[in-house]
Amino acid sequence: MDFGLVSGALTELIGSGHAHYIFFGVLVGLTFGVVPGLGGTTALALLIPVTYTMDPVGAMYLAGGSMGATSFGGSMTAILLNTPGTPPNAATTFDGYPLTLQGKAGMAIGASATASAMGGLIGLISLLVVIPLARSIIYLFGPPEFFLLTILCLIAIAVATMGKLLRGLIAAGFGLLVAFVGMDTVSGELRYAGELDYLWDGVPLVPVLTGMFAISQMLHLALKGGSIVSAAHRKTKLSGVLGGMRAVFRHWTHLLRGSAIGTVIGAIPGLGGVVASFFAYSSAVQTSRDPETFGKGNIIGVIAPESANNAKDGASLLPAVAFGIPGSAESALLLSILILHGIEPGPSILVESQREIYGLILAITFSAVGASIVGLLSARWLMLITHVKVQVLVPVVITVTLTAVYVLEGKFGDVIVCGIMGVVGYLMIRFDYPRLTFIIALVLGTTMEQAFHQSMTISDGDMVSYVVGRPTAVVLVVLIVLTLLFPAYRSYRSLAKSSA
Amino acid sequence: MLAILALGCGTAQAAWPEDKPIKFIIPFGPGGFDAYARTLAPALENILGAVVVPENVPGAGGRIGANTVYRARPDGYTIGLWNMPGMTMPAIVGERVRYDLSKLSWIAQLSFDAYALAVKAGSPIRTFEDLCNLGRPATFSGQGGFTETASIATVIMMAELGCPYKIVTGYQSSGQSTLAVMRGDVDARVNPLGSLMPYVESGDVRLLMTYEEQASVDGVPTIVELGHPEYVNFGLRRVVAGPPGLPEHIRDRLSAALLEAMQSARLQEWSEKTNNPFAPLDSEQTVRAMQDVIRFYEQYGELLRTEFKGNR
Repeated sequence: MDFGLVSGALTELIGSGHAHYIFFGVLVGLTFGVVPGLGGTTALALLIPVTYTMDPVGAMYLAGGSMGATSFGGSMTAILLNTPGTPPNAATTFDGYPLTLQGKAGMAIGASATASAMGGLIGLISLLVVIPLARSIIYLFGPPEFFLLTILCLIAIAVATMGKLLRGLIAAGFGLLVAFVGMDTVSGELRYAGELDYLWDGVPLVPVLTGMFAISQMLHLALKGGSIVSAAHRKTKLSGVLGGMRAVFRHWTHLLRGSAIGTVIGAIPGLGGVVASFFAYSSAVQTSRDPETFGKGNIIGVIAPESANNAKDGASLLPAVAFGIPGSAESALLLSILILHGIEPGPSILVESQREIYGLILAITFSAVGASIVGLLSARWLMLITHVKVQVLVPVVITVTLTAVYVLEGKFGDVIVCGIMGVVGYLMIRFDYPRLTFIIALVLGTTMEQAFHQSMTISDGDMVSYVVGRPTAVVLVVLIVLTLLFPAYRSYRSLAKSSA
Repeated sequence: MLAILALGCGTAQAAWPEDKPIKFIIPFGPGGFDAYARTLAPALENILGAVVVPENVPGAGGRIGANTVYRARPDGYTIGLWNMPGMTMPAIVGERVRYDLSKLSWIAQLSFDAYALAVKAGSPIRTFEDLCNLGRPATFSGQGGFTETASIATVIMMAELGCPYKIVTGYQSSGQSTLAVMRGDVDARVNPLGSLMPYVESGDVRLLMTYEEQASVDGVPTIVELGHPEYVNFGLRRVVAGPPGLPEHIRDRLSAALLEAMQSARLQEWSEKTNNPFAPLDSEQTVRAMQDVIRFYEQYGELLRTEFKGNR
């Protein structure tokens, strides 16, 4: 770990006179995070032309500033409106929104802000520890490991939908069906795309997620009427915010585990923030002593996903930093900003572009902390949105969301998909099918299928002996078995206790 | 009075390219094509006195962007980057396309990257001959489906020379497919020489050969030296073209502006620093070069169709 480089980057940040770029980035990131449909990738894409006139380090401050702030911005919408501002915030809705309904929105925002900031800091430290080992870590994960990882994630999530396993599996099967629409990246053949060019690249993720969570929630609210928080619960005080901040330190094990999960999942190309935060949430549920309190306003349900969410930002840079090869949409955009500024990212990027990379890492970290401070200061006023009558709130949110979805790619098809998924999502709420397993299956489907095909082609169809020869893959198999056995072990324990 | 009227008309119908922005369609997300377009755009603006807006229209291996340009009105306000020979492939292997390359208005070629064949640095495979005689099919990493440009070069060469091979497709970017070689997923990968060189210099991969006419890397044989000059055409071209029927004066001004931009000191410096070489051709030269490229790949149509069926 080289803290010398970090302090060097810090000195440069203070001396450069460009520190305000981070602040601008934070404001952009928060705004893009709060609005459902807009997210970190859109913010970065729109910032690219703005960086033309900056020096590369300044451009990295701006980009990092926005990247670190989006996930906290998105958590505020998740907590207050049950509508994740960015896809990775979906897990935060499960307990964040029930807290709002109980008049504890301040507490949830306080916890989310603190968990985000701490997650960002822990992510920074783990990234610094891991950078020297980055190459060997990335070499450990080939196609069979990717495949097993997706299986592990799906199983962990399925186990977490306790009591609704069958409904969860039905929703997951539906998610996989949707994931396989479009051009098969293995054979290049079109599947279920009909005559629509639009579907060649599959059903786009962000419009589906936005429809599934934002539009469906608005439909649900509109049909319910009233306002989000009933008059009885309106005595929200700022002390709630402090309570939420303290809760994060009281539940520090969940903070650390959430951050660790975020770091590991974030580093793996193709999985990303949605999986990281769901995985953190479901592991919090599984290891909790009273899992039945989740989904009803357990503060840990906010801490775990939000810490994972911010810890993943630093880690997602790992493939880019180690090889100059991006592992996520965000890092692809970051590298393209560097190319525009005359820096060709390659395997020696960390040596040749040290200033830019460490500047970026610092900016992401400062941004996570800065966004949280801005959020805490504004929490009191933001909470007022839950007092607004739904007749006013719903049309505004739906309009803003659909516009955002359109702005993303400029495709009208995205708006249609978002609308359809809104109705599907509403029906799933209404008939009690978990949207969570649908989304995870959709996110993982492509990676899972590709990695499976690749493993089969490489091993000539003999996947078992291929896996046995790879230590990382064996470890993953063991983890899968343990995850499957865990619920059985727990019911055995409680049975033993009650009979004793 | 007349003067005012004339002025009014003048502003209402300002001549191309001043009355609205020129859309410069990039059929991919961030990456090489994106970098070329976004670096050229400000220079084009200066030369033409117009507003040039690079726009990413990714999807379906560049086909959605290609369709967008092809269907646009030929008024000089929509131009696009084309991946050649990538865009020739769908039609050759019998997939549905909505553009006809022979009708496009070719404006200028920006770059030509010769391909090279790479293996992992410590690999026991030291020559192309070794790769051909492994006693099992040699494995290659491929980006997306089989019709990716680099995989096509691999298929043609391996099949014609009778070498057993297998392509592991589905890697997300050309960088990821290089990483697949470094990680040992597969034996080899064909990629543009320029994008492989940093990994050669860092000691991660070793080149078996280049598809250049004249060797530029010490100790690495060219395909000509290995006795197969017919494959010298293998490479990736980035070409600017507009929709069919683009008026000649607009095409020529765009072409001249692109060539001027590529000569400018700023872009030369960018090209040098980022390892993104230019290979400028004006519109007439580009038309001829594209005819050659299309003809070259069409002659392998039968072979490619059979090989793809086998691979599926």
